[in-house]
Amino acid sequence: MVETLQNLALGFSVALTPGVIFYAFVGCVVGTLVGVLPGIGPLAGISLLLPATFGLDATRAIVMLAGIYYGAMYGGSTTSILMRIPGEAASVMTCIDGYAMARKGRAGAALAIAAVGSYVAGTVSVVALMFLAPPLAAFALRFGPPEYFALLVLGLLVLAYMSGGSMLKALAMAALGLLLGMIGIDQMTGYFRFAYGVVELGDGIGVVPVAVGLFGLAEILATAGLATPPAVIKPKLRELLPSRQEWRQSAWPIGRGTVLGFLIGIVPGSAHIISSFVSYAIERRLSKHPEEFGRGAVAGVAGPESANNSATSGAFVPMLALGVPSGPIPAVMLAAMMVHGVSPGPLLIKQQPELFWGFIASMYVGNVVLLILNLPLVGVFVNLLRVPYPVLYPSILVFCVLGVYAVNGSVVDVWIMLAMGALGYVLRKLDFETAPIVLGVILAPMIEMAFRQSLAMSDGQYAILVTRPIAGTLLAVGGVLALLGLKPLVARGLDWRARLALAGKGEERL
Amino acid sequence: MLTTDRVAGAALTLLALGVVWESRKLPLGSLSRPGPAYMPVVLAAVLLVFGVALAATGGRAMKLAAVSFAEWRHAVAIFAVCAFAAFALERLGYRATVAVTLAFMLGVVEKRGVVFTAAFALALAIGSFLLFDTVLRVPLPRGPFGL
Amino acid sequence: MRSAGRLGLAALTALAVLSTGARAQEPYPARPITLVVPFPPGGVADLTARPVAAAMEKVLKSPVGVVNKTGAAGAVGMQFVATSKPDGYTLLLALSSISIIPEADKLFGRPPAFTVDQFAPIALISADPTILVVSADKPWRTAKDFIEDATRRPGQIAFSSSGVYGTLHMAMELFSHAAGIRLRHVPYAGAGPALTAILGGHVDALASGPAVVLPHIKSGKLRPLAGWGAARVAALPDVPTFKELGYPGAEFYIWAGLFAPRDTPPPALATLRASVSAAVGDPDFRAAMDKLETPVAFKQGEEFRKFFEADAKRLAEGVRQVGRVQTQ
Repeated sequence: MVETLQNLALGFSVALTPGVIFYAFVGCVVGTLVGVLPGIGPLAGISLLLPATFGLDATRAIVMLAGIYYGAMYGGSTTSILMRIPGEAASVMTCIDGYAMARKGRAGAALAIAAVGSYVAGTVSVVALMFLAPPLAAFALRFGPPEYFALLVLGLLVLAYMSGGSMLKALAMAALGLLLGMIGIDQMTGYFRFAYGVVELGDGIGVVPVAVGLFGLAEILATAGLATPPAVIKPKLRELLPSRQEWRQSAWPIGRGTVLGFLIGIVPGSAHIISSFVSYAIERRLSKHPEEFGRGAVAGVAGPESANNSATSGAFVPMLALGVPSGPIPAVMLAAMMVHGVSPGPLLIKQQPELFWGFIASMYVGNVVLLILNLPLVGVFVNLLRVPYPVLYPSILVFCVLGVYAVNGSVVDVWIMLAMGALGYVLRKLDFETAPIVLGVILAPMIEMAFRQSLAMSDGQYAILVTRPIAGTLLAVGGVLALLGLKPLVARGLDWRARLALAGKGEERL
Repeated sequence: MLTTDRVAGAALTLLALGVVWESRKLPLGSLSRPGPAYMPVVLAAVLLVFGVALAATGGRAMKLAAVSFAEWRHAVAIFAVCAFAAFALERLGYRATVAVTLAFMLGVVEKRGVVFTAAFALALAIGSFLLFDTVLRVPLPRGPFGL
Repeated sequence: MRSAGRLGLAALTALAVLSTGARAQEPYPARPITLVVPFPPGGVADLTARPVAAAMEKVLKSPVGVVNKTGAAGAVGMQFVATSKPDGYTLLLALSSISIIPEADKLFGRPPAFTVDQFAPIALISADPTILVVSADKPWRTAKDFIEDATRRPGQIAFSSSGVYGTLHMAMELFSHAAGIRLRHVPYAGAGPALTAILGGHVDALASGPAVVLPHIKSGKLRPLAGWGAARVAALPDVPTFKELGYPGAEFYIWAGLFAPRDTPPPALATLRASVSAAVGDPDFRAAMDKLETPVAFKQGEEFRKFFEADAKRLAEGVRQVGRVQTQ
């Protein structure tokens, strides 16, 4: 404990030198700028800007990357809230209620809540990272394919709670998403599935083009031609900040999202993406007013944003403690360290304490810089809503294309985005929710891989899925959840879902 | 009565059947050793069930005729411009594509003034290229004449 | 809508005129060169390509830009270069998998994304032999222990890999074929997850580049048994090679090399070779590669062609030996 604090002091002595703070600041600004682009989230932002940091020394480069990462994360939620365009898969849930809030004139409040939620989640999870990294990392490594499978199935069950409307429609959309996720090379055998000779489909269809298409493009297609385009909103300074009631409503969601996100985040792999979906579902379940979700519930912004942020910090646990690239973002960070001659691994903490603790401290600094930077920026960003929609949407489209193209340098991704935009437009007309499709696309390859890896490990014995303690526990929890989900069918009476339908009846369709 | 749910349910059912048909080329594998077609077929079966259920129970949903497609011309125009952008991006280069796309959308679809359209399109095309390609070193496609 | 069509038509016409207009003979290089990396930023290929590009820039006095064209385990970027204009302005930095992908395509009877002979080899930049590591809590102390146990329990010892027909998978298959043993394969999506799997004890063995596993060997979590190289790995002088142990068929390197489209004019190729040759001597480049702990292994011209062809032949045989993954 004392040692940790001493080390942290060492870290801050590195992170608080003017040169380092400067790069943290530059990183945050650039990250925010790039993250504001539709389609570019933290991962794409870091990958795209990694080369720009090669010229710096190791500490500065890492600090700048941490800044870019946090900036991109925050920038992503900005476009989600203001334009309904997710910067990455995890901010899909923010789009729903964040954009609804913006249309009600509460864009400033949503942005501020997202910023504060991210700040709290980021800071708390770095503290957890510092004190708990070694034991948690050992635990995280026990997540093999069977545990992963169980976790993802649990995530899938959460779907049933995600939708506000009919559960059947949500499940059908999820199944559609899972099927879309089957496109590409089968990673266990090397067969091409449903690619029809398009080599670019080998890696499957990316989540980002799907999310940007289904949300951003579909939104534009549906609203640009309306006889009365979305009104220009002129935000007043007083309305920029969340009201006392909004603060109260988001306090618990931020807390829950932080813990939940961190726990899901430490699991190696890409499971951290589901944290925001799970958080949204939990908040809706716990809310006294579930009918507000989808119509601008502040908890629907606070929970997922916090969960997302702390999940990605949680992903650094195995990387820092063990030197294992435990997910896409840590992998890029590891690469950045290698470029600067820092060999990542279990000995990193001992051999280069100033770098390790400097990195931890710079995560604190990055969070603070972002808060300082972004709260005033809320006032700037909301002014985007002053731009008349006929001028705004063509620009958004350009940035959608730019963002989606730049990630892989692939025009096929742009075409996927277009196809998904058309699909999203039609589904919107038919009154279907599209978020379950995104979750399906994310989960399908992971669930299938984990399932078949488990069977490869056990030589075809299904018992491996339930006999390992963590996997068995997770599946048992899932079973209980499923039973609870069935309860209303048996017990009849009005559950929250039915109340919701009643409440929704009077309102006009958006 | 055609309702939104029925139409969607029928479409999903057809898609599921199509996936099962397309999966026939891939080995299904066995229960203990699932092959590449295993998951798609399982998922298609699930989708089939949901699709049929939707079509069967969707009688009370919104009637298809009640869905307003008033803005379809606009939507198709925007979609076509985007398709052109995707087609031209690597052929004409980023700047030319963006300028043309924006000019068309602002000038023709939204009927803004010529001066405003030209200025806005050029500024955005050149400005965003400068920021991303030149400053941030994110390579964007260049067209003929290095544009 | 009519004007949209007209506009598109005009654009197309302009395009056609531009692309047919032949460029006059110009000194090479007169424009920026694009170096395509078919893997995402931060991977081995990307981290090798950037210092190479920077060093070549100095020699050629012309910008060399790195572009990541990712997808389908590298096939997308490789296909892109294979079919791009052979003018010396589009180059490829490929890893060993360039020889595996067309073979795997052949195996499944699908039209290959590209073939090896669509490329003109320019130079080999680095070659890293893989090494065999096992979890330290397993009983095998030597490669002999491992092989004996695997012979006793065929198909029971599991190894992770970066993906089916990926480099790490092929290394292991070449070895198990040479030793006449059968192992259980659990593919993962990339080398990182494959390493995580063995550290978590979910599999028993892994073939990997030395730099990645060295820290874990030092910390005592993994034990090296043997190497695939022609010579021992400098950092692990006590670990024998499979050649020494009597399995000459088990030879495998994760290498990185530069390629151009096949019909690139010979003068341009010569200029490029000379520039790479000068680039690998560049102190900045050496320093960058040292930091990655990747040994520079420069070969060019005939020498590289021979190395490449021998390697491609070995891997093609390997892919055929594995055959299609059995699903029945």
